[in-house]
Amino acid sequence: MNAFAYLMLMAMMAATTFLTRGFFFMLARSRMPAWLQHALGYVPAVALAAIVAPDLLVSGGSVSLSWTNIKLIAGVAAIAFFLRTRHVLATLVSGMVVFTALRLAM
Amino acid sequence: MNPLPADQADREKIALRDGIRTCAQAMPGLLAWGAVTGMVLVQSGLSIWQAIAMTLIVYAGSAQLAALPLIVAGAPIWVIVLTTLLVNFRFVIFSAVVGPHFAHLHWTRRLWYGYFNADLVMAFFPQRFPAHTMGKPVGKLGYFKGLAYSTWWAWEIGSLIGILLASQIPTSWGIGFAGTLVLLGMTIPLIVNVATLAGVVVASVISVAAVGIPYKLGLVVAIVGGIAAALVADRMSSSPDAEERAS
Repeated sequence: MNAFAYLMLMAMMAATTFLTRGFFFMLARSRMPAWLQHALGYVPAVALAAIVAPDLLVSGGSVSLSWTNIKLIAGVAAIAFFLRTRHVLATLVSGMVVFTALRLAM
Repeated sequence: MNPLPADQADREKIALRDGIRTCAQAMPGLLAWGAVTGMVLVQSGLSIWQAIAMTLIVYAGSAQLAALPLIVAGAPIWVIVLTTLLVNFRFVIFSAVVGPHFAHLHWTRRLWYGYFNADLVMAFFPQRFPAHTMGKPVGKLGYFKGLAYSTWWAWEIGSLIGILLASQIPTSWGIGFAGTLVLLGMTIPLIVNVATLAGVVVASVISVAAVGIPYKLGLVVAIVGGIAAALVADRMSSSPDAEERAS
């Protein structure tokens, strides 16, 4: 692919970013029914959970709930740490420390 | 919020700083995550300048990673663009959470700000400005910009580091897991009542079960299913004589 064709492709891919992320920015003036407004309040928590869950629970293409799934163990440790400290950065550090220790140990 | 007799511009400036401060806690994870994405771009066969162009122009990590093998394999343009569109589809739902707060702006500015409404922005913004603050725009644009632009900078700097260090840092270190941990730390405080917990559990189960569905569309199914579960739980727990469960 030459440079021009590549940049054109990048522009088209960026157009999908504009289209999807901007969708209800562009339609912001349309009235949304109250129930939908209410339902959208659940989106952040639900969406984040849907993104995170496979990262922790799926290992090598299948669901893994065993001790050999070090991301799951590190994730559980990070959750416990977060509930004590309520600090995202501390959670990140503790999770990575557990993850790296287990990775090197196995 | 703030007792200062500040005029509009000052309030937006304060809100901007608040947005940057809010985003700061997620910054190390964003940097690490961007770095991993940048590394993968180069390790999969893009040249350094191709990887930089993609990062700066497309600005959508998961869509970039999905399109990557197709580009390297020389797939037809329409397949690549359609894949990108499908992987980005979840952002349509995210835009419905944040977009309506900016109905008062000119459409060109809404188009511009929409581009920056990435995962983290969508997660933070409604915590400060929930749906019932719609139509009260004070402080929102400043806060949004603080979140959105610091997210952009952290992601781009991380990506550039990853692109330039692609050959130095082994992927076996699993640095990208830092991104997962940040999202994890952001999810838990959002679980404020039984209905949200139900939604989170159902969305997680569907998302894990649907992991084989192509183009990350399982994510969209999981979000819709999770919201449905939350609404059902909501209805069951909010009968007139039930206790108020929101904490």
